[in-house]
Amino acid sequence: MKSLLGYLTAAIVLSAVAFLLGDYQTDIYRKLLLWITLALSYNFLFGIAGQVAFSHFTFYGIGAYAVVILVTQLHLPLLLAVPITVLICVIAALVVAIPATRLEGFYLALATLAFAQLFIVLLNEGGNLTGGTGGLANYQLPPILGMQLKGPAYTVVIVLLMLASLAAVWRLDRSYFGRACRAARDNPEAAAAMGVNVRSTRILAYTVTSALAGVAGMVYAFVDNTVSPVIFGLENSFLLLFMIIIGGSGQHAGAILGAVLLYVMPFLLSPLIGHHHALVFGLFMVLAVMFQPAGLIGLWRNWRRGSEATGTRPANAPGEGRA
Amino acid sequence: MSAPLLELRGLGRRFGGLQAVADLDLHVNAGEILGVIGPNGAGKSTTFNMIAGSIPPSAGEIWMDGQRMAQLAPHAFAARGILRTFQHNKPFESMTLCENVMVGMHTRVRYPLWQVLAGTPGSRRAEALAASKAMELLDFVGLGEWTAADVSTLSFGQGRLLEIARALAGEPRLILFDEPAAGLTASECERLAEIIRRIAARGIAVLLIEHDMHFLMALAERVAVLNFGRKIAEGTPAQVQQHPEVIQAYLGNVRSQPHA
Amino acid sequence: MNDFFELIVSATASGCIYGLLALSYLLMTRPTGIINFAVGEWGMLAAFGGFLILSWLEWPYAAGMLLVSVFMFGIGWLTERLAVRRLVEQGAPPLAPILALLGMLVVFRELVSVSFGPDPRPVPAAFGFGRLELGLLAGSYQSFYIIVITVLVFLGAWYFFEKTLAGKSFEAVAIDRRAAALMGINLRRVMALSFAAAGTVAGLAGILVAPNVSAHYLMGLPLAIQGFTALVIGGVGRVEGALLGGLILAFAEQFTVRYANVPPGLAMGVPLVLLILFLLLRPTGLLKPKEARS
Repeated sequence: MKSLLGYLTAAIVLSAVAFLLGDYQTDIYRKLLLWITLALSYNFLFGIAGQVAFSHFTFYGIGAYAVVILVTQLHLPLLLAVPITVLICVIAALVVAIPATRLEGFYLALATLAFAQLFIVLLNEGGNLTGGTGGLANYQLPPILGMQLKGPAYTVVIVLLMLASLAAVWRLDRSYFGRACRAARDNPEAAAAMGVNVRSTRILAYTVTSALAGVAGMVYAFVDNTVSPVIFGLENSFLLLFMIIIGGSGQHAGAILGAVLLYVMPFLLSPLIGHHHALVFGLFMVLAVMFQPAGLIGLWRNWRRGSEATGTRPANAPGEGRA
Repeated sequence: MSAPLLELRGLGRRFGGLQAVADLDLHVNAGEILGVIGPNGAGKSTTFNMIAGSIPPSAGEIWMDGQRMAQLAPHAFAARGILRTFQHNKPFESMTLCENVMVGMHTRVRYPLWQVLAGTPGSRRAEALAASKAMELLDFVGLGEWTAADVSTLSFGQGRLLEIARALAGEPRLILFDEPAAGLTASECERLAEIIRRIAARGIAVLLIEHDMHFLMALAERVAVLNFGRKIAEGTPAQVQQHPEVIQAYLGNVRSQPHA
Repeated sequence: MNDFFELIVSATASGCIYGLLALSYLLMTRPTGIINFAVGEWGMLAAFGGFLILSWLEWPYAAGMLLVSVFMFGIGWLTERLAVRRLVEQGAPPLAPILALLGMLVVFRELVSVSFGPDPRPVPAAFGFGRLELGLLAGSYQSFYIIVITVLVFLGAWYFFEKTLAGKSFEAVAIDRRAAALMGINLRRVMALSFAAAGTVAGLAGILVAPNVSAHYLMGLPLAIQGFTALVIGGVGRVEGALLGGLILAFAEQFTVRYANVPPGLAMGVPLVLLILFLLLRPTGLLKPKEARS
């Protein structure tokens, strides 16, 4: 469904928006794009590969802290720091993936939760390296090739990041790898009988999605020009999970919808309930799990199927199973 | 007479103190339908699982196409051309029928993952080809009209057909059927038998374990009978049915009545 | 040297708290297989209940603690009724109630945050903040109180599971739901009771630990992690395991801080590292479950 033309159009439109926004709106827009990026990769890990992990924001943090430390403390030029950070993210993801994917279901959730908390503890106690509980601040994106990427130009970088993540998870999903991930989740015994190496599929899924989160973190580091432990804690991990469930787990459109909705809602709700939007999210989460586990996308599809039945809409073509 | 495709030499398996299978010699030729029968506890399932790769043998060897299958992980068997169905259907519930079948092709994929990420025309063509091949296979087993259906809406018999299509997708040299007739109606059994014959006609070796005598005797070209983990008879269905030890093993209850 | 024995008392008391939380998990997990992340939040609710009734309304301690316990029994029952029952009876995948409970966790926490604000609230100790010396062992009144209550609770739990018919029915449900139902055991009641009891136990942990840490809307998650670590260390199979796990965890934590020259911030990492290690290396815990008796 998504062609090169589609991506190009999206890139142009989304980037154009960047040039039209004021400072405050730009900040919101950038963060929204980052949340969408994270939701897309997390949706692949949780919704498609079926791994219940709370480590996504940890890798986001690893990417962010790594690039900042490389640039501000080791004084590496950006052209070097970026690939090294990506490498760090991939290696970190792999190192965690190998033991973690031996666990399933709830045990994986707990282990990644503990890992996430451990990361925060290490950040807090990291002294001068990590800036402790206050984190690192007052740094800037160094110039690349003599140019300073600021303002709308940097927003375009984030747009490209988001679209690249979308392309990555979309293509992986629609390939033999995506099917292997689903098969390994649905029925590991049958998957193995068909030749799927369940273990390495799990490792690969975890590594790729966590590395994507890390790369997003690297980009995030220069959005607020500050990184601190609290950003990468469990609160945001829960929020990410809520986004996926409420939007529609396993569907890319669901991830985007969930991210947009839950990110934008606090702004709309704040006149009513101040900072306590988490209460609403928690409630929606419970309601979604109980009454509409397929999320908002599920609601939309039921509506579509309903109109198919009454003849107002054509049925899906074979193979066009998912949005 | 060409060499057999699958050969079991002195195959054995113990579970603690229990010798489930002992000293089993068996072979299947390409394009042949071999039936394996025996009373409950005879070791059919254990043998089946060893050939399919889900349990390792305790003794003996499995030779497939001139290569020894030793110390292989379960998922490696499909790559060597051994695919199987499950007695209790195990579909992938979150995927469409077409996608289920495409999982069967996992070992036949020839392009690396980076090409998937890059979206190269080669990988896209291969994907489209895979989808159309899956549709062909669904047609072959008779599920052609149901490709857009949800897996959960399939009847038991249809689920069985999906199992077969999925296993065929792996381009097997040997296909293993685990009690394929179990739970099927008479007409479904007929269709199943027809499908199995057509599979064998393509040169694929077929091994099936089955309790339904009527079904198996009509279909298999050769039959091996197990009892207490050992082979007690082998031959054509007619020969085996006359064999005194076989009759004894079943205590004279060889049911050749038509499937109810 | 006094130091050492004081540390023993304090570590034992902490271990008891973790053990209570682990017991709470266990009470729910055994019959239903559901892991309820929200036990920490339950502890938090009880702590705030303690604040309300004991500090604010200034009720006598015994009455207040009883009332909070009854309240928590209700909360446990309510949680099951709202978030769990429907899903289990619909045959939803096991992940579903866990996710729903995660949502409840956030709901509880935010409700408390909305009602009481972000500042910590004081909760009184049972017998005030005095010290008690029993031979070599010395510690606060509250520490000894915690230990006594915990021992009583665990004795009660052990007795319930080992000696009573109702307790056996819990075991039966844990082993085979359908068979238990076929034998006439009321699944709904078992589930409701297990959650209600778990709520009470978690509530006890909350109200017992609150005098030392104050009631705070963020206190839930650390408690939940510590409780779960205790559960994993001790093993899900036996009630005693919960207490053993809690004690091992608390001792590891406090002795590391005191004797290994590790900054207290880093000491928070001890339960996390232990949890990860146990999950990877020995997920079934230290104590094996009871074998079937003939």
